[in-house]
Amino acid sequence: MFAPGILLAILALLGAPLFAVIAASAMLGFSREGIDLSVTAIEFFGIAETPVLVAIPLFTFAGFLLSEGGAPQRLVRLSQALLGWLPGGLAMISLAACALFTAFTGASGVTIVALGALFFPALVQAGYSERFSLGLVTASGSLGLLFAPSLPLILYGVVAEAPIDDLFIAGILPGTLMLVALALYGYWMNRKPAGEREPGSAKAVLAAIRDARWELPLPFVVLGGIYSGYFAVSEAAAVTVVYVAIVEFVMLREVPWRSAARIVRDSMVLVGAILLILGMSLASTNYLIDIGVPQRMFELINEHVSGRGAFLAALLVFLLVLGAILDIFSAIVLVVPLIVPVAAQFGIHPIHLGIVFLAAMELGYLTPPIGLNLFISSYRFDRDIVAVYRATLPFLLVLTVCVAIIAYVPELSLLLLG
Amino acid sequence: MLRNVFSIGLPWADGVIRLAVLWLAVIAAIAASRDDRHIAIDLAGRLLPDRVRRPVNALVELFTAAVAGLLAWHALSFVRDSFAFGDVLLGNWPAWIFQSILPIGFALLCYRYALRFLSRFVSRPRAEP
Repeated sequence: MFAPGILLAILALLGAPLFAVIAASAMLGFSREGIDLSVTAIEFFGIAETPVLVAIPLFTFAGFLLSEGGAPQRLVRLSQALLGWLPGGLAMISLAACALFTAFTGASGVTIVALGALFFPALVQAGYSERFSLGLVTASGSLGLLFAPSLPLILYGVVAEAPIDDLFIAGILPGTLMLVALALYGYWMNRKPAGEREPGSAKAVLAAIRDARWELPLPFVVLGGIYSGYFAVSEAAAVTVVYVAIVEFVMLREVPWRSAARIVRDSMVLVGAILLILGMSLASTNYLIDIGVPQRMFELINEHVSGRGAFLAALLVFLLVLGAILDIFSAIVLVVPLIVPVAAQFGIHPIHLGIVFLAAMELGYLTPPIGLNLFISSYRFDRDIVAVYRATLPFLLVLTVCVAIIAYVPELSLLLLG
Repeated sequence: MLRNVFSIGLPWADGVIRLAVLWLAVIAAIAASRDDRHIAIDLAGRLLPDRVRRPVNALVELFTAAVAGLLAWHALSFVRDSFAFGDVLLGNWPAWIFQSILPIGFALLCYRYALRFLSRFVSRPRAEP
């Protein structure tokens, strides 16, 4: 029973596409149970029966389009004008800007590449040490996963069948906690600033605002629409696409029409990769649930750990390891259907579980030796990977404390839900 | 938008959109396999020396092609059954029309990976990205 599973795990580690590994394990399982394998196709067709999924291609396209134009530059300029004069101010505002950007563009390395590449030199120039700046830029690459309308939040809602609006609201306080904690750390590290700071000037702020006048309303429209309940998630996604397309193609004309086809293709390749894995795992997790794996997992865990607190600790360790190995989308699709029922038996609210899950995944991006952000940062800033580990470590520790708080204080996630 | 502004719901639109997402997913997945951008754990690529990497990649491609081929075959039998039973979707449309993307898409995935595997043996080996 275990031999084929081990073989598949080895293939996955050797770089086999995960969709093929998942599909193979589902088909193995079904054939063992004597079920006709065409059931995999039937389950895959379930994608056409899943609501809100349309938000994923829409938001992905809008995010790609947004990072194509000059939005990152304008965001950086505005940030500098707003808070560059305060000690630790630039660090704070780069964290906030990166979080906002990540919420809109999804959790890929886009933030590090598009925004981090601009903030890094700005931070160093403003007198922050290179090590601090490198760590900050790397760590902020995945901040913002907990804020609407981030793709992982939506995907978690789809997979766990939890209301996405609730997840959006639940993410606000925990996400803010992570931001504030890092901002305080940044402030404390740079109490005595060394470099030159631009003096604050209302004129510069106004100029930067005028510069960003088209993009600036976007977060207010989308987030306001979602949080007030005026838009459903897929409607917000459609509005975002139309808005961003009009701004980038028509108003600013920063992105030429002829590159539209390339941007569509680039963004849809990512969507295809995510949804293919989702479709395959619809089949494999249904099989696992059918043969009672969550129940057995619960019994197994219950033998070794007792109570909610110990379960949460075990869960956090598991998620940290998972997040370091697996990308966030595959992790959600594969693991969430199995742990939701287990966690429910330990009395953990599914919305709270989602926030803990995603917050822990954020850490996974930064966990040596193979966290994704570390590689992107090392590649983008041309620094030795070990230097990136060292620079990121303090940020990782601060965030780990935050995740522990998020896990053990469910009120943080559930308070705003009422 | 329509719901809020004009208070109209379009009962069939939702189903059409969901099917469109499915088609988009499959077509985009084919594009992703062309670019070799499917999500994978890229541990081996970073740790293995070049010499070992080539046979490992060949093995991975063969495995993926085989899985995709199997998927295509069974998707075809799913569509055939649906055709035989006369399943319908969106009111009155035969369901097999919408489902046919599955065997086609999986077959193309299989073709892509098989091609990549075979191209290692004809002419010179492709440059590793």
